[in-house]
Amino acid sequence: MRGRPKLYTSYIAEAQLFPTRVQKILVVVGIIVLVLMPFDLPVINQIPIVRFLGDNIWLRLVNRMLIFTIAALGLNILSGLAGQVSLGHAFFMGSGAYTAVLVGGKGSANLWGWGLPIWIWLPASGVVAALVGIAVAPAAVRVRGLYLGIATLGLVFIGLHLSRVFPEIAGPGALGRKWPRMQFRLWKEEDPLVDFSRDGDWLWFEASKNQKTYLLLLALTVIAAVVAANIARTRTGRAFSAIRERDVAAEIMGVPEFRYKTMAFAISSFYAGVAGALLAVLAGQVPPESWGLLLSIQFIAILLIGGIGRVSGALLGTFFVVLSPRFIEEVIDWMKEQVDHGGILAGVFDILISTGDGDGGILAISETALGYPLPASALDELVYGLLIVVFLLFEPMGLYGIWVKVRNYWKGWPFSY
Amino acid sequence: MSLTVADSPTAETGGGVATVASRARDWADRAPRQVALREKDFGIWQEFTWERTWDLIMDAANGLLALGVEPGERVSIQSEDRPEWVILDLATVAIRGITVGLYPTNPAAEVEYLLTDSNATVHFAEDQEQVDRALEVDAARLPGLRRILYTEPRGLNSYDDPRLMYWGDFLEMGRRHREDSPGEVERRMAEALPEDVMTLVYTSGTTGPPKGAMLTNANVDYAMTVITGDTGLRGAQIPGPGDLTLTYLPLCHVAERIFSTWHLVGCGVCLNFAESIDTVVSNLREVQPTLFFAVPRIWEKMHASVMIRGGDVTPFKRVWLGLGLRMATVIGREKVSNGGKHTPMSWLLNLIGYPLVFRALKERIGLRRCWHAGSGAAPIAPEVLEFFIGIGVPVYELYGMTENSAVATVNYPGRMKLGTVGEPYPDIGFRIDEETGEIQTKHPAVFAGYWNKPEQTAETFTDDGWLKTGDVGEWVDGTHVRIVDRIKHIIITSGGKNISPSEIENSLKTSPYVKEAMVIGDGRKFLAALIGIELDTVGDWALRRNIPYTTYRDLSEKPEVLELVQGIVNETNEKFARVESIRKFKMIPKELDHEDGELTATQKIKRSAMEDMFGDLVESMYS
Repeated sequence: MRGRPKLYTSYIAEAQLFPTRVQKILVVVGIIVLVLMPFDLPVINQIPIVRFLGDNIWLRLVNRMLIFTIAALGLNILSGLAGQVSLGHAFFMGSGAYTAVLVGGKGSANLWGWGLPIWIWLPASGVVAALVGIAVAPAAVRVRGLYLGIATLGLVFIGLHLSRVFPEIAGPGALGRKWPRMQFRLWKEEDPLVDFSRDGDWLWFEASKNQKTYLLLLALTVIAAVVAANIARTRTGRAFSAIRERDVAAEIMGVPEFRYKTMAFAISSFYAGVAGALLAVLAGQVPPESWGLLLSIQFIAILLIGGIGRVSGALLGTFFVVLSPRFIEEVIDWMKEQVDHGGILAGVFDILISTGDGDGGILAISETALGYPLPASALDELVYGLLIVVFLLFEPMGLYGIWVKVRNYWKGWPFSY
Repeated sequence: MSLTVADSPTAETGGGVATVASRARDWADRAPRQVALREKDFGIWQEFTWERTWDLIMDAANGLLALGVEPGERVSIQSEDRPEWVILDLATVAIRGITVGLYPTNPAAEVEYLLTDSNATVHFAEDQEQVDRALEVDAARLPGLRRILYTEPRGLNSYDDPRLMYWGDFLEMGRRHREDSPGEVERRMAEALPEDVMTLVYTSGTTGPPKGAMLTNANVDYAMTVITGDTGLRGAQIPGPGDLTLTYLPLCHVAERIFSTWHLVGCGVCLNFAESIDTVVSNLREVQPTLFFAVPRIWEKMHASVMIRGGDVTPFKRVWLGLGLRMATVIGREKVSNGGKHTPMSWLLNLIGYPLVFRALKERIGLRRCWHAGSGAAPIAPEVLEFFIGIGVPVYELYGMTENSAVATVNYPGRMKLGTVGEPYPDIGFRIDEETGEIQTKHPAVFAGYWNKPEQTAETFTDDGWLKTGDVGEWVDGTHVRIVDRIKHIIITSGGKNISPSEIENSLKTSPYVKEAMVIGDGRKFLAALIGIELDTVGDWALRRNIPYTTYRDLSEKPEVLELVQGIVNETNEKFARVESIRKFKMIPKELDHEDGELTATQKIKRSAMEDMFGDLVESMYS
C-alpha cells in the first residue's frame, strides 16, 4: 500500500525485486549509466569508477568480467541457492565453448565445424551444457557436500581427457583451435549484419569492437541476472533453498529432490555453457587446459568473496576477482615508478619490490629478477587465497554481507535491532 | 470523501432507526470499493471492501434468520479480533439480535457463567480452544443454545456435537436463505427501534461476577455522535475513510468496540486486524495506523521497549538517541504545559529532532502517521504520556465506562492537562457528587441497565436518575477532571487517613521493571505492597548483570532484584506524604493470570481474589 511499504496486500507486491519508486528510478539510472559508460560522454565520464572503467584498455577487462558474471550467476544458482558444491563449473563452461566451436567454427580436413551463425551456436552451447549437467545430476542425489565436490572435480579431468581424444573438436595442438568471431549473421552469408569483432560503423555511430561487444555482453548479463533473481523468488527457487537447508527434509515436505537437483544442475550448466562459449569467442583461441581446476576455483572465490546465494553477491565478487589483478598490477607499476623517480615513499617501496638483479625486495617485478622471492605475476593468486581465508573467517557472507551490515545499521536506526 | 456521522442518513433513507448495521449498509452503498477491513492471512493483508463486507454481513444475518434467531435473542462471540467478529456483530444487530462478547481469555468456568447468564442462542467460538470451552458446559444448562459456530476447523474434524457448525457452511446457509426469502433482513432492519438492546457488554467484575450492561441502539447512536462528531474526542478533526486503525484489544470491551466497530461504521475508518496481541508491535509497523487507542499497559510496554532497545545500541547511536530522547523530554514538558500545543521552544526542538530521531523512532514503533491516539481504561503514568507527546505522538487520556458507553470526559487536543482525564464532553450531564466525590453522568448514552439484574441496576443509579460511576474524581482548575480512585478501593488506615492506592500503584508501575502492584493497608497501621516484576525487563536486567535465574519465582526472589524493587519503592515514597509511604513489600511469587482468577479479563487485579490467595504474604508483613 502506498506510503506503507510493509503493508503487503498481495504476494506479488511482497516479492517485487524493486519495491519502492526510488529503487526503480535508481535501477533505470544505473542501467543508463552502464549503457553509456564506454562512450566518453560529458557527464557520465565524470563518475569516479565509470570514468576509469570506460577507458578502452579497461573495457576489454570489463567485457571479460561480464562473461564471468554470467558464469558466476550460474554457479550461484547451483551452489548458493541449491547448496550443491561443484568444482566442475569449468567443465560445463568448456562444454559450452566446444559446442560453440563445433556449431559455429569453420570446419576443415581435420577439424569439425559447421559454421552456423551466433543465434544458433550461442543457445546451442547453453543447451548442450545443460544436457551434460542433467547427465551429471544423478551423482548429486547420491553424494553430498564435499564428496559431491570431489565427484564434480572428476569432471574437469574427464573434460581434459576428452579434449585429447577428440582433436577434431578441441584442435590438434596445446594451443587449441580458433573460435568463430563475434559476428551476427542471419545465415552463412559473407557480410555479417553486425560485426562485434571489428571497429567501425554501427547503426549511426562510430564504435570500437570493445564498445560493441560490451553492449552485447551487458544486455546478456542483465538478462541473465534478472532471470537468476526471478528464479530465486519463484517456487523453483524456494524448492532450491529447501534442498540447500536439508535435502531429506525437503523431500519429506514434498519437494522432489531428484527433480530439483537435476534442474539446478541444468540451469547452472546452461549459464556456464553460454559464458564458456562467449569467453572462448572473446579470446579467439583457447588451449584446452584453461578449462581446468583453476577456473573452477576462481568461481568459488567469486562466490565466497562476493557473498554466496545472492545475485548481487555474484556481481560484486566478479567485479572484485576479475578486476583486482589489474589493480594490483597498476599499484605495482606505480610503486616502481615511485622508486625510479624517487617519490616520497620510494624508500618503503624499494624494500617491497625488487626491480633488478642486485635489488632486494619481496616482490620481483622485472624479468631479470624473476622468481627471486616472489614474482609479481603470482601475487594475485596469493591475494585470492588470502582473501578467501579472510572472508571465510571474518565475513562468511562476503562483500554482500558487508553491505548487509551497513544497510542494517541504517535500517535499524535509531535502534540496533 | 468527508462523510461523517453528521450527514449519515437515518430513518429517511432506509427505514428504522440508524443502527450500526444500517450505517454499514450506507457505507456499502456510498463507497463499495473502499477497503473496510484488512486481515493478515498467510503473510498477506487480505482486504475486504465495503461491498464484500456488507455482502458477508447479509449472509451472516440471513444465516442467523435461518437458525431462527428472533429479535432480542442473544448471539455470543468468543474469539480473537477478526473480521468474523465484526461481521457477526453487525449481522446480529441487523436482525435486531443482541451481541454478547466474551473475552478470548475467559476460562471455561466464566464461559459457562456468561453463556447461561445471557442465555445465548447462537455462540461463535473461534477455534478448537474456544469450542472446547463452550462444549465443557453441560448442554442441559444451555437449553437455548442452538448452534456453536467455528471458523478455524483445525482439530475439530472428530467432534460430533450436533450443535457445531462451520462458519463457511453457516454463510452458505445464509446465502441460500437470502435467495429463498429475500428482503427479510431488510424488514428486520426497518423495524429496529431506538430502545432495542443491541449488545451486552460484560463488565470486567473486579468485585463479584461480571454483569452484562445493556446498550441500546439509541445509546450507541448518541455515543457515536458525541465521540466522533465535530466536538468529539478529536476536537474539530473528524476521522474519515482515509484513516486506518489497528484492531487488537478485545472487541468485547467497550473501548475497542468504540475505536474499531463504531469508528468503522460511523466514519468509514479502515480496520486492520492484528494477527494476535503478541504481534501488535510488528503489525503496527506494517499498518502505521493514523488513529490508535491503547490501554496504559501497552503504552508503558512500548515506552519500555524504546528504553531497553535504546540502551542496547552501538556507541554512536547511543549518543544520537540519547540526544533525541533528551530533546523529547523537553518537548514533552513544554507541550504538556501548553495544553498539548507547541511552544516556540518545543517547535524549534521538534524541527531539529524530527529528521534526526523522531521520524525514524516513530516509524519503528509504528506511529509515524498517527495523528490521534487515546489512552484509557486505566490510569497512565504521566512520564509515559509526556514521552509520547515529546516524540510527536499525540496521546490523550480519556475516561468513560461501559455503563455510559464511554461518554464522559476527554482531553481535547490543544487543551490537555497532564494527570487529568480531561473535560466532560459538551452538553452531557456530568457532575461530581459533593459529598462522596463520586463522578455521576446523565445523558442518552447511559445504559439501559444490567441484564437480568434489576436490583444492581437500581443501585447503579441515584434517586434522581444519574449514573453512579463508582469512581472518585475531583475538578482541576474547574474544567478538567482528575480520577482519584474507585470508591471501593479507597484505603482507610487504622489511623483514619483516607488513601488512594491506585495513585501509589501507578507510580510504582511507572518503572519498566514493575508489572503488578497492589497496595494494602485498609484498617492497618501502615501501607504495604505486593509487587510483581515484569519478567522480560527484569530478566534482561539480570542477564546484563550475570545474575542467573531459573523461574519467575526464582528471579523475583533474588536479593539483587529485591534491591532493585526497593529502589523503585523508595522513589515512589519520595513522591507521596509520609502516611502514604510503603513501609514493607513482598514479591508476588507467580505471574498473575486471568485463568487463575487473579486478574480480570482486562488485566486488572481482582483485589478480593488476591487477598485470599496471598493472605499469608500480607499477614507476614504486618506481624
